Amino acid sequence: MPNATAADGMTTLVTGGTGRLGSAVLEALLDSGHRNIRCFVRPGITRAHLHHLQKKHGSGSVEIVYGNLTQRGDVARAVHGVDRVIHLAASLRGAPADMFLNTVVGSKILFDAVNRSRVRRIVVVSTLSVYELHDTSPAQTIDESAVVERRPEWRDVYTHTKVLQEQLLHRAPLRERLSWVVLRPGPLYGNTTPVLPARLGLQLAGCLLQLGASAALPLTHLANCADAIRLATFDDEIDSGAYNVVDDDLPTVSEFIARYRAEVHRIPTLRLPLAATLLLARLNEHSHKRWGAQVPPILTTYRVRNLWRGHQYANVRLKAAGWRQPIATRDALDTAFKSWRT
Amino acid sequence: MLKIALVGCGKAGENHAREISMLPDAVLVSVTDVEPLMAEQFAARFGVPRYYAESSQMISRERPDVVHIATPPQSHVPLAMAALDAGCHVVIEKPLALNHTAAEALVRQALRQQRKLTIAHSYHFDPICRLMRAMLDDGIIGEPVHVESFMGYALDGNFGLPVFTDVGHWVHGLPGKLAHNVIDHLLNKVTEFLPDDRPHIMAHAWQRDLRGGDAFAMPDELRIMLKGARVSAYATFSAHSRPVSHYLTVFGTRNTLHLDFVAGTLTRRSTPSLPGSLGRLSCGFDQAWKHAQSAGSNVVRFVRGDYDQMSGLRYLFASFYQCIRECTTPPIPYADILRVSAIVDEVFAQCPTQQRQTA
Repeated sequence: MPNATAADGMTTLVTGGTGRLGSAVLEALLDSGHRNIRCFVRPGITRAHLHHLQKKHGSGSVEIVYGNLTQRGDVARAVHGVDRVIHLAASLRGAPADMFLNTVVGSKILFDAVNRSRVRRIVVVSTLSVYELHDTSPAQTIDESAVVERRPEWRDVYTHTKVLQEQLLHRAPLRERLSWVVLRPGPLYGNTTPVLPARLGLQLAGCLLQLGASAALPLTHLANCADAIRLATFDDEIDSGAYNVVDDDLPTVSEFIARYRAEVHRIPTLRLPLAATLLLARLNEHSHKRWGAQVPPILTTYRVRNLWRGHQYANVRLKAAGWRQPIATRDALDTAFKSWRT
Repeated sequence: MLKIALVGCGKAGENHAREISMLPDAVLVSVTDVEPLMAEQFAARFGVPRYYAESSQMISRERPDVVHIATPPQSHVPLAMAALDAGCHVVIEKPLALNHTAAEALVRQALRQQRKLTIAHSYHFDPICRLMRAMLDDGIIGEPVHVESFMGYALDGNFGLPVFTDVGHWVHGLPGKLAHNVIDHLLNKVTEFLPDDRPHIMAHAWQRDLRGGDAFAMPDELRIMLKGARVSAYATFSAHSRPVSHYLTVFGTRNTLHLDFVAGTLTRRSTPSLPGSLGRLSCGFDQAWKHAQSAGSNVVRFVRGDYDQMSGLRYLFASFYQCIRECTTPPIPYADILRVSAIVDEVFAQCPTQQRQTA
């Protein structure tokens, strides 16, 4: 596998390097010998971790470029002289308008700049949630050939932004000799603050409403995802296209919740089987129709059918490209739960 | 059925689209944003049939009756002028313009074109404000003596956070920066009680905490004192006090009204009717009862679908559309709109934002 090092003089741009996944990616790149990494960071964002990495790996290892993805001039400056781009920046929460602006418009500006530059490869991190599964049997394992959501506005805002972000890559034809990879990880976890993934259910007033079928929870450990990103960025043998990034030997939703309650926090939990979840969704839809914005449509039948019927996801394509899960799920979960306890 | 068009697909635009969709005699036919991707996603989410990147193109093709302008304030005047010239009535997000002179020019243009204009002072018609006016008319508070308008602000909230992570954010281009974007909500509740053309104004602003470095230096605390011939007022903008509060207190010669816009409650404070300690003892129970009554009426409002935070905006839009159909005066008098913009000019003349001020 070709390695980009300081000697190669190749520069890799990372957007979103101050986030959870971004931090894991930077560590993975630096630990495997990559240098000349340029982090594109918004002013006003905490960047202590980047300074720590600069100290640890030398001042030339990580360059910080300040700017905003929605400003064309900032992005052109960041992309200048770059060979590869890892695009992680995205809004996970906030006002919908800001999420679309930062994730979709920001990506469009970045892709335009990349198209006009000498960048050879761009890796975009999306999500497993982009698939349209409301009519797909849970018995069918979802690989990259599955249809991407055609009515993303019926899903949550985050999924909507990610579907549009992926569409941008297809809409504007990229120039020759620019390859692209979209990685679709499941809910990410690591040794940071525990975040209960939406695929478990809804958290309301300090309680967890476990929704739908209790199938395997399609998790992706941060370090495993970071390794997939490293591979997709620097292995030129990997074809352009989308790849699922999901770990093997996953716990079921019920097993995960039981362990979380036993080892981290005994969160009051109510389990709603799929039929009851669908009924609750209809009630939510009806209430929203009746009372408008007073009752937000957080649970809809469309969303339930996509997210909580227990679909399984394949990582065969990524493995065929050479990815091997660096941290076994059992070890990753053991370490994560231990860190969450403390 | 009035044809409505919206310019600006950001956060404020979402509030407009949501409230328009709940009105039976108006339909949002198109949206515009200079960034077509924003217009496209917005149209998809709100079921709007068409979207544009140019407001002039949208107006000429769609011929809307009303144009809502929910763009950054820097573009309000040119967009509104163009819409008025095209024969449309206009609803503009606050602040109307960057200064009083521009606001006056806009109002003049509306009058010249015989089109109607209003500003999205959403809390002006909040149910508790309407109830307060009914109580004023009934003489329940007597004659107003003093009003206090308070507005808290979450710097880490949906509106605050983008300001402090983007040096190019339009808020940095406002004369009063952060406070300028919300000061209309603070002052329009006060001007209702101060009909004076030139009230005495004292204002002081400072930055309590410098966030994100010098590039983001701007006042985040603002205090204003206003004095008219018969009524005085305090207006407070605070980005650091918690919980984030939003209230109006009207002190009258007979009773005092307290309007809490976060809870949506209106309570009345009266002089105890029982003597001495018994009177003091009764005060807590009296207040508890008033709060229970207000909370109970909120349950009724909820059941009627009139309890969401933007229901005042919906009422304003409905009143504005009605005044267009019936050829009556707009729900917010132009004089009131201009009085607010004149006070805003004076406040920020006293509180320059270019240099960092400390308490």
